[in-house]
Amino acid sequence: MNTLFTPALLLLQGSMLDNMSEGVQRPDLSKFLIIAALLFAVGVAGVLTRRNIIVIFMSIELILNAANLNFIAFSRYLQETGHANAVAGQVFTVFIIVVAAAEAAIGLGLVIALYRNRETIFVDKIDLLKW
Amino acid sequence: MVLHGWESVFFWVFALAALVAGLLTVMARNAVHSALFLISALVSVAALFVLLGAEFIAGVQILVYVGGVMVLFLFVIMLVNVGAEEREQEELFNHPAQVTAAVCFAALLVFGLFYAINQSAGRFLPDANEEALAAAARGERLRRAETRVSNISEDTQRVGSSLYRYGALPFEIASVLLLVAIVGSVLLARTAKQELAADDVDPLVVSELSAAGELTPAEIEAAARRARADDVWEQSKS
Repeated sequence: MNTLFTPALLLLQGSMLDNMSEGVQRPDLSKFLIIAALLFAVGVAGVLTRRNIIVIFMSIELILNAANLNFIAFSRYLQETGHANAVAGQVFTVFIIVVAAAEAAIGLGLVIALYRNRETIFVDKIDLLKW
Repeated sequence: MVLHGWESVFFWVFALAALVAGLLTVMARNAVHSALFLISALVSVAALFVLLGAEFIAGVQILVYVGGVMVLFLFVIMLVNVGAEEREQEELFNHPAQVTAAVCFAALLVFGLFYAINQSAGRFLPDANEEALAAAARGERLRRAETRVSNISEDTQRVGSSLYRYGALPFEIASVLLLVAIVGSVLLARTAKQELAADDVDPLVVSELSAAGELTPAEIEAAARRARADDVWEQSKS
């Protein structure tokens, strides 16, 4: 239980502020993870709140990019610790980019077909499976 | 892995740029503005990739995302033309519940990360000695460019050899995936008339189209002939 409150205790002691300024001046792996987590959260917010299906697709691209950032950051981290196949993270990122491109092509084809039939691309208007 | 000096300055600049551009992507009214903000977010993330020493991925990100996918997005936005429609729609982010849920989710994520990082305090920071050794090794590995201005990165080489050594089968599968995506999007995006020219369609659709006067008699005749041929083929099978 004590360990759970360690961040709060450290903040009270003021040593966390020192840690933070050190962290700002010399960003390490964790800063990349936090930035990627925030990008992911922004993308999820976009998927959940927007009604325009094209903007929803763009938010999905944002989410995929956050994942890519994590992969690349860990790849660099493993390279410096001398891991044998540390570039695997970058290889995986290539595949994620390929899948994202395929997804965008198919998704936008669907959007065009949908617009041709329904004349709308707002997800709350597209609520029938058959019409 | 620690960034030093100017690297850390650029890290914060591009990280904040990516976050702000991402937020504006989600919050912009106009879909074209969203697309432009997404482009700047993707470019900022590509800059972060360069900072991390992944030059090949940064190049692919610019070429594929910004050059390919985003152009596709802009084309589709202009084809479906809903810019005027969205303006009078209800406000975005106007439900306090939505905003609270999103902020809670983000706070949970970041707090969880902080907690995990705190738990493993110092594990992400290699000791100074090890770090200097790694930097020296990196410097030795890199060949000096002919101009003597900078070093030549070997990142692309290593990604390539790793891709073909460990990921050859997934690579082939990815190429098939792209082929299927091309064919699928062409099939999805064609009109009923284009479909009629190559494939069997529902007789109902044919009669609707000819009632709307969109078909020439030759096209109707061809569709009917194809339907009859299909019937003959079905009968000959049974």
